[in-house]
Amino acid sequence: MPSENIVEMRGIVKVYPDGTVALRGVDFDLREGEIHGLLGENGAGKTTLMKILAGVLKPTRGVIKVHGRRVVFSNPSDALKLGIGMVAQYPALVPVFTAGENIFLGLSRRMVSRERLVKLMNETGLKVELEAVAESLPMGVRQKIEVLKMLYRGVRVLILDEPTTNLTPVETEELFATLKKLRDQGVSVVFISHKLKEALAITDRITVLRRGVVAGVVETSRTNPEELAKLMVGREILFEIKKKSVKPGGEVLTVEDLWVRGDGGEWAVRGVSLAVRKGEIFGVAGVEGNGQKELVEAVTGLRRVEKGRVVFLGRDVTNSDPQELYKLGLSHIPEDRVAMGLIVNMSIIENAILGLHRSREFVNNFGIFKNRRMVEHTLKLIKEYEIVAGNLNNPARSLSGGNQQRLVLARELSKNPSLIVASNPTRGLDVASTEYIRRRLVDLRDQGKAILLVSADLDEILELSDRIAVMYEGRFMGVLDSKEADVRLIGLMMGGYTLEQARGMRVV
Amino acid sequence: MLDARLREHLTGFAEVVVAIVAGMVIGGLVMVIGGYNPVNAYYQLFVPSLTTGYGVEMTLSFATPIILTALTFAVGVRAGLFNIGAEGQMYMGALGAVLFGAISIPSILYLPLEFIVAAVLGMIWGIIAGILKAYRGVNEVVSTIMLNWIAYWIVESMRVYVIPNPVDASKTVSVPPAGRLPLLVEGTELSAAIIISILVLAFTYFLLWKTAVGYEIRAVGYNPLASKYGGISVRRVALYSFIIGGFTAGIAGFCEVAGRPPSYAITTGLSNLVGLGFDGLTVSLIGYNHPVGILLASIFIGAMKAGSRNMQIYARVPLEMVQTVQGLIIIALSIPGLLRIISRKIGGVR
Repeated sequence: MPSENIVEMRGIVKVYPDGTVALRGVDFDLREGEIHGLLGENGAGKTTLMKILAGVLKPTRGVIKVHGRRVVFSNPSDALKLGIGMVAQYPALVPVFTAGENIFLGLSRRMVSRERLVKLMNETGLKVELEAVAESLPMGVRQKIEVLKMLYRGVRVLILDEPTTNLTPVETEELFATLKKLRDQGVSVVFISHKLKEALAITDRITVLRRGVVAGVVETSRTNPEELAKLMVGREILFEIKKKSVKPGGEVLTVEDLWVRGDGGEWAVRGVSLAVRKGEIFGVAGVEGNGQKELVEAVTGLRRVEKGRVVFLGRDVTNSDPQELYKLGLSHIPEDRVAMGLIVNMSIIENAILGLHRSREFVNNFGIFKNRRMVEHTLKLIKEYEIVAGNLNNPARSLSGGNQQRLVLARELSKNPSLIVASNPTRGLDVASTEYIRRRLVDLRDQGKAILLVSADLDEILELSDRIAVMYEGRFMGVLDSKEADVRLIGLMMGGYTLEQARGMRVV
Repeated sequence: MLDARLREHLTGFAEVVVAIVAGMVIGGLVMVIGGYNPVNAYYQLFVPSLTTGYGVEMTLSFATPIILTALTFAVGVRAGLFNIGAEGQMYMGALGAVLFGAISIPSILYLPLEFIVAAVLGMIWGIIAGILKAYRGVNEVVSTIMLNWIAYWIVESMRVYVIPNPVDASKTVSVPPAGRLPLLVEGTELSAAIIISILVLAFTYFLLWKTAVGYEIRAVGYNPLASKYGGISVRRVALYSFIIGGFTAGIAGFCEVAGRPPSYAITTGLSNLVGLGFDGLTVSLIGYNHPVGILLASIFIGAMKAGSRNMQIYARVPLEMVQTVQGLIIIALSIPGLLRIISRKIGGVR
């Protein structure tokens, strides 16, 4: 077993210019040839710590040693010279360049060698088509390009920030295989994640961060999900959300043969039909970019329906504007709370009434706000949804990600809806907030609300849904009952097989 | 830790102070190179116009219309629009007020009717650009610039052919004494117009921050997508914004005609009006498009306008140099606000 420490970080403290303390004295060791998981909730300081190691950020205090020698990085290329490279959460490739051009970008001419790159690809098993244009490639391939870019520059310490966020299950497996191969070749990998399963599957050791301090360092072979979760959040977490068995009632939302165009004018939704009933969660799974976004926007009045019908509580609401739908009892929890769910530059109070700002509850006959009512409403939401907020007149961007999402959820549910459309409601949230929001959704289902849940997080879909549809290239590959659903079946459907085909493959 | 909002205000204020100092240093260097004494020049530019009674009165009278045209621009920016049509809307407002110089009505009706017609003409001029923007997607910068020129020539031809002054060819008819706002201090140019101006400022503040309409305007300006999601009609907001902007600019025209001695009319080539709309743009940028900032910035710019004469007479700096130095200060001051707008347009949310 390899044991030499290639990197040692001691007493790392990071205080951001705005006064946020991200790291409060963190020690971190990385051995040669290991896959080291860096686990923690959002805001625990994982990314900050690794950005310091990669020379992107400067530590406020603390020592970094590489091969036992003390180093000070003033920029990422200093770190790169010592063989330390980081791949960010979202691949940052030049979209119109080919894979090869992206890998060679920024290198001097004598460093560019196609043979060397091909050799590297063969050695590592990271094979990409070098002539393909980056923007045409799936996320998984783009990630490979980023990794190749680092390896080509001689990186021996590879830092991956939540690399599986945008990958399908199959792509994730491929990535893991590659990482193991790299480890066997002596490369050290830091795997940043908040997904316990993945960390357990791939890493050799795990460092858990909690609110800027190390909560524990464990050997992966000697730990279990419960222990890790406890280290991460500091308390026991229930993984199984118990669902009452509710008999679904009448149809609340019916979509018939829906056709919707994407931003580029192409067909994004191609003839989708579905029905969401009272007291059920209808889950739509699928790899992102297969029309889910357009489907949600069409149903919630934000995007034009070109063909087909949307019926809400027996009324045809095709191409109605959002305000009308809200009046009928729609709540929409959008995926991107910063871009859509909140106006982050406006105050917490003002955000608490977005969409309700014309209701008689908050404005008088002259259109003037009733300030006290607004404050009361906000305080109620904050209390009921355990939102951690400072001054309510501060802009909503002063809230953490989890609390922003809670605010959106709180506001939408305060409308007492009959239908809730939730799109990736827990994306980017820490374990505690995720659990909280999922629990709320199940509660609402138990109360007899209809919920359309669209999520790229398969665990979320499997955990919450009563029925599951898988979307692929604008179509449903099939709808199945959650009892017969499993990761393999859905994974195949996400990859473009219809339900029948996927079932057939299972037998073989 | 400091409260986030307070910290933002302090940062904004610090930026303005740094900009003033930077502008003055550069302007000072230019004066030194030109062989003038910058200390004395700056003293003459600011001190009398901010400390002596007459100076303050002049400062405020210069600030009066600029506050209103600044509001036009500010309400536009708040809604995410670059409405630079205050100039033309103000011309139309002035025209609306001065028309009453040509007709005879009961004297008590002059001021209210001047006010109303000026406001309505300003709003009409604003709403044209608003409709073009909301329903046909016409870029508001292009349409408002064109409308500015159309307004200019409408008013100019009216001055020559419809309402010329029978005894003085250099201006239109003057509004009769009953149609003039009372002077606050005899012998100065400071009239009750400043009170109207500040009331409109307060009204706009209230509208933007205490009403549903203002809420929608600000929401769209910050994030059109989230606004749409929140059930706000982005189109309607564009119209609101142009109507409110046209209203304040129209009142600016009214104030210049009914509240500014000695002419109480529109002079040749609109010389007593030209530039007030664009001064407002500057003031709004300096004041971060916020009513309180606009009030302070308009006093600052008003003081510079009032002090320019002193700088020429007592510091013996020629007019061209005065204008150069003032231009440098204004440019330096506009940079932080301009950068904010640009970063908002490019960066979207952050």
